[in-house]
Amino acid sequence: MSQEDGEAKTEAPRNTSGTTEVFETSTTVIVEKKSQKRIFKIIVIGDSNVGKTCLTYRFCSGKFPEKTEATIGVDFRERTLEIDGESIKLQLWDTAGQERFRKSMVQHYYRNVHAVVFVYDVTKASSFENMPSWVDECDRHHLNTDIPRILVGNKCDMRDKAQIATNVAQKFADSHNMPLFETSAKDDSACDHVDAIFMTLAHKLKNSKPMMSPKLAGMVKNRVINVGKSRDGRRLSQSRESENEKDMCGC
Amino acid sequence: MNSNHNSEKKTTDTKSNHENYRSKDDLTKKQKVAAIKKTLKSDPVDVDRLRQLAISRGGLINDELRRQCWPKLLNVNIYGISKKPENLKEHRDYNQVVLDVARSLKRFPPGMRDEQRLVLQDQLIDVIMRVLVKNPELHYYQGYHDICVTFLLIVSEDIAFALVDQLSTNHLRDFMEKTMEKTTKILSYLYPILGKANPELREFMELAETGTIFCLSWLITWFGHVLSDFRHVVRLYDFFLACHPMMPIYVAAAIVLYRQEEVLQCECDMAMIHSLLSKIPDGLPYEQLISKAGDLYLQYPPEKLEQEANLQLKKSQSITNYKKLKLSSRSQEPDSVLKARRRQKLKEQQERRLVVMNRQEHGSRLVKVTVWALTAAVGVAAYAVMYAATDLNHWWYGH
Ligand SMILES: Nc1nc2c(ncn2[C@@H]2O[C@H](COP(=O)(O)OP(=O)(O)O)[C@@H](O)[C@H]2O)c(=O)[nH]1
Ligand SMILES: [Mg+2]
Repeated sequence: MSQEDGEAKTEAPRNTSGTTEVFETSTTVIVEKKSQKRIFKIIVIGDSNVGKTCLTYRFCSGKFPEKTEATIGVDFRERTLEIDGESIKLQLWDTAGQERFRKSMVQHYYRNVHAVVFVYDVTKASSFENMPSWVDECDRHHLNTDIPRILVGNKCDMRDKAQIATNVAQKFADSHNMPLFETSAKDDSACDHVDAIFMTLAHKLKNSKPMMSPKLAGMVKNRVINVGKSRDGRRLSQSRESENEKDMCGC
Repeated sequence: MNSNHNSEKKTTDTKSNHENYRSKDDLTKKQKVAAIKKTLKSDPVDVDRLRQLAISRGGLINDELRRQCWPKLLNVNIYGISKKPENLKEHRDYNQVVLDVARSLKRFPPGMRDEQRLVLQDQLIDVIMRVLVKNPELHYYQGYHDICVTFLLIVSEDIAFALVDQLSTNHLRDFMEKTMEKTTKILSYLYPILGKANPELREFMELAETGTIFCLSWLITWFGHVLSDFRHVVRLYDFFLACHPMMPIYVAAAIVLYRQEEVLQCECDMAMIHSLLSKIPDGLPYEQLISKAGDLYLQYPPEKLEQEANLQLKKSQSITNYKKLKLSSRSQEPDSVLKARRRQKLKEQQERRLVVMNRQEHGSRLVKVTVWALTAAVGVAAYAVMYAATDLNHWWYGH
């Protein structure tokens, strides 16, 4: 008996969604209501090759994957976070960028999502230019604007190749009522930043409080959040939103 | 030749698993090599016999034999291959192909030098583009490159092109439509097959709204995208090249059925089941899975399942809300959870007994498999491969 109790308390990885656990012994049946661990589904979309797989991998495993492959269909990654003493599980659905997959396959994964992450590649103008069609697609799946959405410009480590100015991306983000993050899945010093982006979403989902996580909110006055190389090279910093067209992604 | 993979070298680790499934009718590896060589020497080559050898235990044994047999299985004349055209870069899918090939590092043998790999990657792009340029009606899909690389690791660029060209207008034709409608249709056979073999498993997976995307890459890459061991990939390719185009979905079903206990112990939740199944664990007994797939195919051939598959297709689009309701009400009743658990335990016990029985009965079971290899090779599969070019869709869905 005590053994079963113990078992119930320890993490049962396959049964964490607050369902009822049943333990059967020879004579008695114990039904124990487990504490709810809330699960949030987040779908990550954007053109092929913008870094969706790398970003989700970075967040869930803390590393930049050495060999990524084209995503076929939909891949699944997850990470459990502790927020204000509550355990929250983020399920990230990493989707294929190729249009044919979106049309007939990805639909299934739009159902019941709690948040959407749009990703473009700051070094590839077309990936940003396609953003309206991604937003459209999202709308078509009846994801109303109540669902948190964020826009992520990836590959900011290649600052010299940036093609999309921050203020252009910001304008787009504003017009769709979502915050913009510019970051890098590859840059190790931006690791915290990738974390913070998803943490921000997690906070939003958990509390339906303002969009920023406290960590970021303290640092952010303007709307865009950049990967800044601060002196210690690890901390997040925020560069002012630039009116200057040439100030590409500020990293 | 291009490949550092050696099919013969490392078979000892898996051998013991398969030993149970060897019947006295099975040829030893040595005998089989001899049989394949003899068949290749016959003039004209007895393709039906070659199919049979490709299907039966061990497949075509090694890459050297594959190099000679695969063109025969696909009825490709390697001396009449069209020249590489100039305009490969102008194709609409060129950029996507380049991006995907650049990210295909995992598909090359771990020991391969970078320079050699880069040469092969360039060749891979050309192989793909040649097929696409030659057949404007075909559309590239992500995953097609995983199929092409498998051929390129066995044969030279030109021959890889000729083989993939033939395959693309036959077995892979439905994947290369403008949309994925037909691919979805093939996927819709999965649940009917599962349901015949284990109704409870099907119900469980449907209740969780698992869907079929977890095995999409299995199907459209012929498992090339998901298996880490190249030897298993080429073994499956031997099998698929000799069989009906629907066979990959039967192998998918065989794998899910092989893991049914794990699935049933999983939380009844789409994400959990998707992530459990989408990764194929190392060291599955592929010979066993191949004969299971063959059995399933014989028992429940595509034309028998077609109606149900169509139904499945409609259902997956409209009944989801109802299922959700059913699921939520169910999980609120401790009673039903309890029952599910009990059922599961019972099931597990039965299964254990079954395994034991299978072991005892494997003699007779293998007779069936052998018979199957014969009928499939000589009958149905040969027909599909040789006559599919113009008639494939009619053949699949027309009945
Ligand atoms: N320089 C740089 N390269 C990246 C970054 N993120 C991804 N990549 C590369 O971009 C390519 C596509 O990444 P992937 O995650 O597969 O893109 P997806 O198709 O959107 O999933 C890969 O070659 C990655 O190595 C980044 O932050 N910086
Ligand atoms: Mg990807």
